[in-house]
Amino acid sequence: MFKLDHKSIVITAALVASTTLFTGCFGTSNIAESYNGSVDALDGGVTYPRENGIETAYAYNTQDVSGVNHGRVPTPNELKAWDADIMPDGTGLPEGSGSVELGDELYESQCASCHGEFGAGGKGYPTLAGGSLDSLTNQRTAPGMDAPKRTFGSYWPQASTMIWYIRDAMPYAHPKSLSNDELYALTAYLLNVNEISIDGVEVDDEYVLDREKFLKIKMPNREGFYPNIDGPNGVENVRAFFADRPKNIGAGTKCMEDCKDPNILDGNKEATVMRIGMEISNVVPAYSTVRDLPVEAGTSAKSETEKLYDANCALCHATDAMGAPAVGDHDTWATVVAQGMDKVNSNAINGFGGMPAKGGNMDLTDAQVIDIVKFMVDSSK
Amino acid sequence: MNNISENNLETNSRRDFFKKTAAYSVSAITAAAVLAPSKLLADDENITHHTKWGTTLGDELNKHPYGIPSKYEHNIVRRTSSLMSSAGDMHAAVSMCPLHELEGIITPNGLHFTRTHNGVAHVDPNKFRLMIHGLVKKPLVLTLDQLKRYPSETRTLFLECPANGAAEWKGPQFNSLQFVKGMMSNAEWTGVRLSVILDDLGLKPEAKWMLAEGSDGSEMSRTIPVEKVLDDAMIVWAQNGEALRPEQGYPVRLMLPGWEANLCIKYLKRLEFGENPWYCKEETSKYTVLTASGKAIQHFYPLEVNSIITSPCPEKPWTDVQKGDLVEIEGIAWSGHGTISNVDLSMDGGKNWFQANLKGLVLPKSWTRFSFMYRYEGKPLLLQSRAEDDSDNIQPTVNQEKAVIGVEGVYHRNSICTWEVNDMGEVNNVQVRS
Repeated sequence: MFKLDHKSIVITAALVASTTLFTGCFGTSNIAESYNGSVDALDGGVTYPRENGIETAYAYNTQDVSGVNHGRVPTPNELKAWDADIMPDGTGLPEGSGSVELGDELYESQCASCHGEFGAGGKGYPTLAGGSLDSLTNQRTAPGMDAPKRTFGSYWPQASTMIWYIRDAMPYAHPKSLSNDELYALTAYLLNVNEISIDGVEVDDEYVLDREKFLKIKMPNREGFYPNIDGPNGVENVRAFFADRPKNIGAGTKCMEDCKDPNILDGNKEATVMRIGMEISNVVPAYSTVRDLPVEAGTSAKSETEKLYDANCALCHATDAMGAPAVGDHDTWATVVAQGMDKVNSNAINGFGGMPAKGGNMDLTDAQVIDIVKFMVDSSK
Repeated sequence: MNNISENNLETNSRRDFFKKTAAYSVSAITAAAVLAPSKLLADDENITHHTKWGTTLGDELNKHPYGIPSKYEHNIVRRTSSLMSSAGDMHAAVSMCPLHELEGIITPNGLHFTRTHNGVAHVDPNKFRLMIHGLVKKPLVLTLDQLKRYPSETRTLFLECPANGAAEWKGPQFNSLQFVKGMMSNAEWTGVRLSVILDDLGLKPEAKWMLAEGSDGSEMSRTIPVEKVLDDAMIVWAQNGEALRPEQGYPVRLMLPGWEANLCIKYLKRLEFGENPWYCKEETSKYTVLTASGKAIQHFYPLEVNSIITSPCPEKPWTDVQKGDLVEIEGIAWSGHGTISNVDLSMDGGKNWFQANLKGLVLPKSWTRFSFMYRYEGKPLLLQSRAEDDSDNIQPTVNQEKAVIGVEGVYHRNSICTWEVNDMGEVNNVQVRS
């Protein structure tokens, strides 16, 4: 009797719990639930059944589509041309060789303008060297702290990735232009600036890299990634990783009243409101939600002559601060033009008073200078 | 011409009056609130005068064979920041979708967020070829016309860059919905399920992974588990009823519902099936999540459950809303793990929560709109939304996510966002964190 009662209490409690759950979704008519998904996807999410022409909210054609086929089998040459990816086991790795010395030259001429001297970065393009494994635990939890340095040497798990990527996607403006020997030379240079040894041998300035040596490279951060995707259990490791999402990627908690953030570890420490310190506001085009007439195209699209004016003349002529006639100053320019345009053009071409010949840019032709003068006069009428 | 009687004006509601006198001084509005409105009604020229467009001939209808938005909508555009590029180089950069101006769940094609790694490629559809090979019994080459002969399906799905919100791991930086969450869009995609093509090619049982490779200058490539390919992957050629835009991979891209947009390879060229993962550049050097342990999460595919309030937001504040007005709080929720099942809202920075309503289509791996009617009290608020999906995911707080990942993860940031509404009705991006 007691046992029965106990059981009924448990059932009642379970019912209450499930009612609470449903109440949580009440009012939204829980459309999601009606899709009958199963939480069995590789990523920890839901897969949905395709049954009787219905998949979630979508209908589909239930006719048999097996046997639908189009296209043709590729030729051996076509396969060879496109199946050229380079894998960690050396699949696809070309024959060839190249020295650090040649790589240095190539790097200076084709890479340094973006990636900086010795791969040190600059201009916002990726930094290729100078990282360290130790830096990977850096956390910038306060201003002024050092960032983790994720470079080829400190972060990338496989060398094959680099040689494959350089071959197909670099140099940036003209990818797929390097020969296999140049490819090995550039890779050798990157190993050199990242101070990576091969089989205990330092990749110094004299080093010559080839396919055989490349296959012996062990990247310092090879073990720096999880879940382990290699080998026959790779996919299952991914599944296990996503199965425990609260632990592995973080999850929220369902709380409706008087909620305390469970991750404020210090019991006395309240979560606070953090406001923007230095706002990033240099966006293009500038923020605006105004619905007005756009600026006329004519004033925003500058003529070639106006661009030349901007580049060569505006520094002095935009205002009268430099003593030069300011463009837009009607009266001053009326005086200038009164001398006669031949005289004005001649002064602009040959120089006059404080004004250098052709505004100091001798690359301008006489005709260009005359066009610019006309633009300045027209803009000042 | 303008003999509109006073009587007609008096039929206007008091609410309209407030709208039309928005430009009046604060004191005039205060006076209006005290005096009977009929005594104060000022003539609105937009009513008492004929309009320019009502008294002139409009454009010929074929002026724009491909239609364009009203010229008054010129501020509704994607925006960029040199911070989200290499040195302001817009060949390898990202443009942000103007979420604050979108309605419903479909992003117009010209506003879809864009990420390129080597510029926007212009693939000649006549020279397009797709090769499928590797661990299949029959390798295949298709032209675009041949690909489109396969039976098609259409799905409404979001695409999100996993770096969406990456600028804010250490704290709020942008005072803008467009830049806080604009690396995503939602569209109706049409193409063929990859499983239909593979059915004929005969996938070998040892095939565990698929390499997808693009044909643009960056030769973008990623490794994808075959299990996903067979579940719901598509090869798509249409976006909201027309060909893909070049920015979205014209003529063909891979579509992996709910997974990183970077995995959905644009300008698709080749699919190879194999036993081992490829270790592509964008799944090693980038798109890996470095945690505080110094180890990084790789192959982090799905975009986790997420939500954002789109109205109000920094761009669309409540500065014109009067105390006592009933206003709609609206937003978007989405999850790469499944379908949105619930969204809760908080007005006090996460201490107390109440349920919002979902509205419109509730579709898997798609934006889902939520809504709540709120009586504005003119008091400061800390507005938050917290989404849940049908695989029991609940959106984490900033602290909950930080406790697992740290602050250097760059990618896959899905913690709860906070808009601070101040007593002026202005809206600022803040974070509740410790």
